[in-house]
Amino acid sequence: FSTSSSCMNIRVHLPGSVVTTIASHKLEKDKTSRKDRKVEVEDTKTQAVQLRITDATAHDVSVVTGAPEEHAVTRKVRIFRPAKNAMQSGNVNTKKWKVEPETRERWENPTMGWSSSADPLSNISMALSFNSKDDAISFVERQGWSWFVDEAKEKKMQPKSYAANFSWDKRTRRAMK
Amino acid sequence: RQFVVPFSEMMKHFRHNYETDGGYFQRFRGVFIQMSRMNEIKYGTHVGTDELGNKYYENNRYFVGRNRWVDFNKDTWKNKWDFNASQITPEWHRWLHYMTDDTPTVKPPTQRKFLLTHTRNLTGTKDCYVPYSTTKPKIEAWKP
Amino acid sequence: KLHTVALNRSVQGVTSKTVIATSTRTQSTDNRIEVFVNDQSVWVEPGSTVLQACEIAGIQIPRFCYHDRLSVAGNCRMCLVEIEKSPKPQASCAMPVMKGMRIKPDSDVSKKAREGVMEFLLANHPLDCPICDQGGECDLQDQSMMFGSDRSRFLESKRAVEDKNIGPLIKTIMTRCIQCTRCVRFADEIAGVSDLGTTGRGNDMQIGTYVEKMFTSELSGNVIDICPVGALTAKPSAFTARPWETRKTESVDVLDAVGSNIVVSTRTGDVLRILPRLNEEINEEWISDKTRFAYDGLKRQRLTQPMIRDGEGKLSTCLWVDALPLVAEKLMSTSPEKISALVGGFADAETLVCLKDLLNRVDSEGLCTEELFVADGSGTDLRSNYLLNTRISGVEEADLILLIGTNPRYEAPMFNARIRKAWIHNEVSVAVVGSKVDLTYSYEHLGDSIQTLKQLSDGTHPFSAKLKAAKNPIVVVGSEVFSRQDGGGVHAAVSTIAQKARISSAANRGGTDDWKVLNVLQKVASQVAALDLGYKAGADHIRSNPPSLLFLLGADGGVVDRQNLPKDCFVVYIGTHGDVSAPFADVILPSAAYTEKSATYVNTEGRAQQSQAAVSPPGSAREDWKIIRALSEVAGVTLPYDDLDSMRSRMGEIAPNLTRYNSVEGANYFKQAHELAKLAKPKLLDAPLSSSQLVLADFYMTDSITRASKTMAKCVKAASEGLSPDL
Repeated sequence: FSTSSSCMNIRVHLPGSVVTTIASHKLEKDKTSRKDRKVEVEDTKTQAVQLRITDATAHDVSVVTGAPEEHAVTRKVRIFRPAKNAMQSGNVNTKKWKVEPETRERWENPTMGWSSSADPLSNISMALSFNSKDDAISFVERQGWSWFVDEAKEKKMQPKSYAANFSWDKRTRRAMK
Repeated sequence: RQFVVPFSEMMKHFRHNYETDGGYFQRFRGVFIQMSRMNEIKYGTHVGTDELGNKYYENNRYFVGRNRWVDFNKDTWKNKWDFNASQITPEWHRWLHYMTDDTPTVKPPTQRKFLLTHTRNLTGTKDCYVPYSTTKPKIEAWKP
Repeated sequence: KLHTVALNRSVQGVTSKTVIATSTRTQSTDNRIEVFVNDQSVWVEPGSTVLQACEIAGIQIPRFCYHDRLSVAGNCRMCLVEIEKSPKPQASCAMPVMKGMRIKPDSDVSKKAREGVMEFLLANHPLDCPICDQGGECDLQDQSMMFGSDRSRFLESKRAVEDKNIGPLIKTIMTRCIQCTRCVRFADEIAGVSDLGTTGRGNDMQIGTYVEKMFTSELSGNVIDICPVGALTAKPSAFTARPWETRKTESVDVLDAVGSNIVVSTRTGDVLRILPRLNEEINEEWISDKTRFAYDGLKRQRLTQPMIRDGEGKLSTCLWVDALPLVAEKLMSTSPEKISALVGGFADAETLVCLKDLLNRVDSEGLCTEELFVADGSGTDLRSNYLLNTRISGVEEADLILLIGTNPRYEAPMFNARIRKAWIHNEVSVAVVGSKVDLTYSYEHLGDSIQTLKQLSDGTHPFSAKLKAAKNPIVVVGSEVFSRQDGGGVHAAVSTIAQKARISSAANRGGTDDWKVLNVLQKVASQVAALDLGYKAGADHIRSNPPSLLFLLGADGGVVDRQNLPKDCFVVYIGTHGDVSAPFADVILPSAAYTEKSATYVNTEGRAQQSQAAVSPPGSAREDWKIIRALSEVAGVTLPYDDLDSMRSRMGEIAPNLTRYNSVEGANYFKQAHELAKLAKPKLLDAPLSSSQLVLADFYMTDSITRASKTMAKCVKAASEGLSPDL
């Protein structure tokens, strides 16, 4: 584990007593080297066990990442789960949490007419995804960015019935519409 | 190394090239200018002058590759030290680059009406080509 | 040791494999039934479909014709799954769950069934994905990759269908159509127009409008989203970008007061399209055509440089350092009572706070909004007077809706869609006092005379009995009535009707009086925030106190012009478009449109929402509040905030609800408001209650952004003159 990453997730697929042993062995080894590391285990719905290792020694990493001060101090990051694309039925891309700093200026490059940007962080929402909101927040805090969370809008499940198309006294009847 | 010029060469140049220039001072100055521009001192036969005033010399005593040269017209350009290979006319370019042995004075090229007048390479000058965006502007501004 | 114990515990937790649909499952009232999806136990409501049960279990069944918000059609057969003890695979979208049902969505039978269906679907689907605008976000593409066969056995020729022209917004490539009929059902059920339908059978089946005509709906663009293939695509953005090239910014729409949630797709700093974003409380997953297609108005007629009127009376571009000192000098040299500001419909809450702070610093209180509201009675003092108190989703709980002086279909299409949804699914009855227009659902038209309104408030109208019997009645008054001379009177009458209905509904509901009846449907996005912040509604203040210095903040409603201002009045226009007001301004300060700034907007329900900047403002344009903040510094009355965070904390000091994003701060004091309204003793005039937007052609171009949009102009032309080949 590098010092710049204080939180790391290991996903262990079930059933896997062998795999879990390896994982706990790794943890054991790691624990001896870093005493202040906290290990939490939580289960998820995804039939996988998540081991969360929190390193209490790493705080603000913005001093060591080499990022210009402007991008460590002035950025405001939105933490969110992407909305479902209205054009598609699938919803796989809406599961993970993303972080996205505010949009910075893009300009037209005078030579080619292409778009230029001076923002090194403009693509991080494409590159980074987090299993939980807390992971995203802890990452963002360690980068020294200010942040806010936009909670995802959940879909309500509506009762559905094929028979409603043929109910004789309801406005849901096909011929009535 | 090139500044060490045999005295005889210098004298030959002095005699052959600039004998019509008039005055000893001009002759010495010619040697000095040639040294500064070409880093060497040569003498040869003046075989012609193009329409831009560049003078072309030949001396077959030197081996091929060094036996034809041009003395740029220092009055044509704003800065007389600002010269490059694109300042010679195309017909002399042929001779200078050994495409032909006949100088344009001996065998003038056929004149055709579609031929353009020669311009030097303008890169680095204020008239140089600057690329510009050809994309449609994304935003149409309001004009009052 | 601790972590291994915890690990084992979690392993057990997962292996028991029980998923409970919602966490608040109570023993007594629960009538849910248990079904098994891949041997995993799932508790679902009776009457749900097999597809929904799988969804709860976290398994998404492939589908084309099924859509969450449309009726079940069951014709694409893609959702076939194996169910134990059933001889053949079943269409899971139409199959109700039964107790103890064992569903096997991942079994070999299910997979084989899907593969077979996919093969039939692809038999007549062209292989033009490389030139198809749906490519990259196409359900057929995705699902054939996921569930289809890896090779084709099809050697015959493919069917071809002629394309149809259904208007300037939707491009049809009908050969690609797989006859899922989602668009037909959308038109029938959500949009409420029976324009689309099917002709022919089997291989000859086609979707179309029967005769060549425009798909005349204000929601027509949504069929582009729901089309699972590339048969219906967006005409204005045809062939502009691939979906994977675009950046998606989740934002909020401001073209009406509903505040629909949107996703702005941009590439190279250019807005390419706008899509809806799910929000059950507001727009579900639809947006109106104006929201979706007016974005090209953001690229035309834009103010990109500051301008000053020169000695010859012509506007010429200048630098910020030239313009700001000029305005600042005017600001400091004009006496406070001669300074006014008028804000238009697109102003965000940050700018409203900033402008108010600036004018208050120089002791001026001349802050007005273009949109009118009543000043009599409690006026704008009580929030309940100007909010859509029952909220948009409250419509689904209502049993009676009374619309007064409004045409929600064009003033707030998403609100109208919600009423139509309630009309279909909850059998809600609707009555209208106002212009007789096509609202896409049947309603009782009570007339458009003021007499009707009086009778309703007296309780002498026959409809009053129904209102009295209703449990959850809703009275919606359109903000347009406030532009009448007797707007105060109408509001008082409406509040009387609502107050009476509120009392009777409380009795009908067994004494609970938490049901709010009175609703005001605002038309512009800035109005609620402006009224929350204490702006005066309407330009009466400006007319009675002719200003020497007038700030116009995106005010393009034509409320003031050069003729009704004093000759020496110095007009400063802060806005985005050269529309109505910019031509007569003395100084123009270019600002950012809603896709170009992170700003707060409050919708007609009183819900604060944040927009996100998708692109940067064009040219030298800057965010509105920053312009005013810069102006304050030049004028020497520096406002104490210089970044968005401190700006918003100031906003929160004045009106905390403005920074509580996505939640609605409920309003109350209906009784007090009603009594204050009665005290004012307002008069009613005889002019009939009417709406300005009666037909579809009136819907498209209503503000500076939509007036600059070529797409909207085409829509108006098509809606009023019919289709022509160039549209």
